[in-house]
Amino acid sequence: MTEPIIRIDRLEKSFGALNVLDGLSFDVMPGEKLALIGPSGSGKTTILRILMTLETISGGHIEVCGEQLFHMQRGGREVPADEAHLHHMRRHIGMVFQHFNLFPHKSVLDNITLAPILTKGEPRAKAEARAMELLEMVGLADKAQAMPSQLSGGQKQRVAIARALALQPRIMLFDEVTSALDPELVEEVLLVMKRLAAETDMTMLLVTHEMGFAHEFADRVLFFDKGRVVEQGPPDTIFRQPTHERTQAFLRKIIAAGHRV
Amino acid sequence: MAEWSGYLTLILLGALVTVQLTVMGSALALVVAFLAGLGRIARWWPLRWLATAYIEFFRGTSIFVQLFWVYFVLPFAGVTLSPLAAGVMALGLNVGAYGAEVVRGAILSVPKDQREATVALNLTPYQRMRHVILPQALPLMLPTFGNNAIELLKATAVVSLISLTDMTFQAQVVRAQTGSTLVPFLTILALYFLMALAISSGVRALERRLTAGLDGVR
Repeated sequence: MTEPIIRIDRLEKSFGALNVLDGLSFDVMPGEKLALIGPSGSGKTTILRILMTLETISGGHIEVCGEQLFHMQRGGREVPADEAHLHHMRRHIGMVFQHFNLFPHKSVLDNITLAPILTKGEPRAKAEARAMELLEMVGLADKAQAMPSQLSGGQKQRVAIARALALQPRIMLFDEVTSALDPELVEEVLLVMKRLAAETDMTMLLVTHEMGFAHEFADRVLFFDKGRVVEQGPPDTIFRQPTHERTQAFLRKIIAAGHRV
Repeated sequence: MAEWSGYLTLILLGALVTVQLTVMGSALALVVAFLAGLGRIARWWPLRWLATAYIEFFRGTSIFVQLFWVYFVLPFAGVTLSPLAAGVMALGLNVGAYGAEVVRGAILSVPKDQREATVALNLTPYQRMRHVILPQALPLMLPTFGNNAIELLKATAVVSLISLTDMTFQAQVVRAQTGSTLVPFLTILALYFLMALAISSGVRALERRLTAGLDGVR
């Protein structure tokens, strides 16, 4: 029996008086592809941001690759993690953002090689060779020397995926990666992600409004509402026979808005 | 006419001192601006407090008074500076206080997205600043830095009050000896203007170089 790669245990997160996550618990198994769906404000993006340590937590515990993410042991006591511990934990995790967040002052190639060179001390030649392989994979080898401002949104997002992959994380987080794209550019990004899911054993967590893609991509779908997992299961069950009334209402709204499920 | 060329030489010697003060003062101001600007956004509160105290003090008091303190009062505390060193220090610390706010503002104006990407790529706080935040903040600082350098150039005139023979001081000498106000002061007016022009065109050239490739981003 393998151990979960992520264990979320009674997680609390509040922004001021607003409770975004309310005793959230779930596990993720190594290699699992998870889709997180739900109405906006349900906390699904927040959980990704917390896993990337972009947000702190208000209570509860998260274990990643067998170690506490936000806590560490000091003198036999559990204390909040310091920057060194977070740095140590972040190497397991990569993230792709809704707005790509490429570095505008660096070429495509430099965007990808920056972190491997700085954080892993990789020689430039090795980092560049790997970056070219990744660009090949996302179909942008000819754009290595381009600046981000010269790329379309879909190309930017594919570069951002390559950049996150360059650090070879065990867990990848995708935060609404197609939401900021023009409709005709969505497909090229989804294709890259499908290939990635098929060809690697990376654990992937995906927050998305593309229900058709979630259906195809995920091993398990979690429906979020008001900071909790209301319902979860295989995509066929969640999308075809949701049992919870709030899941049904959400999916009805999505279908009414013209989305394919 | 021959004596005028002697007076002109005097003024040009003063111009050299003015240039020296401007260059050295700007260098000090730049260093101090970065130290205090980064101090203002440090996570450790004593550093933040120290930087704020420095900025408020040097912005809030006159450069004239600061110069007199550095040159005439510090010796009582055992620190005696040459007029040039005192001038550079007063000018650098004064303008550096303004520069610190420019550094802070430019760093904070780099979108939050960029910082989040550096966290996701597991860069250390130093690497985030050095490789991602500062390179994007620098082009934003430059125009105001240019203004500050010109302000500093013009402020160098006050050092004549501590017996430094800068351009303004020499113009006063020429005026006293010839009785003419028009010629020496017209000369230094033109010289100050040319120096300021040199600074602003230099900064613009630097700006063009730093923002090459960034077009269409902001």
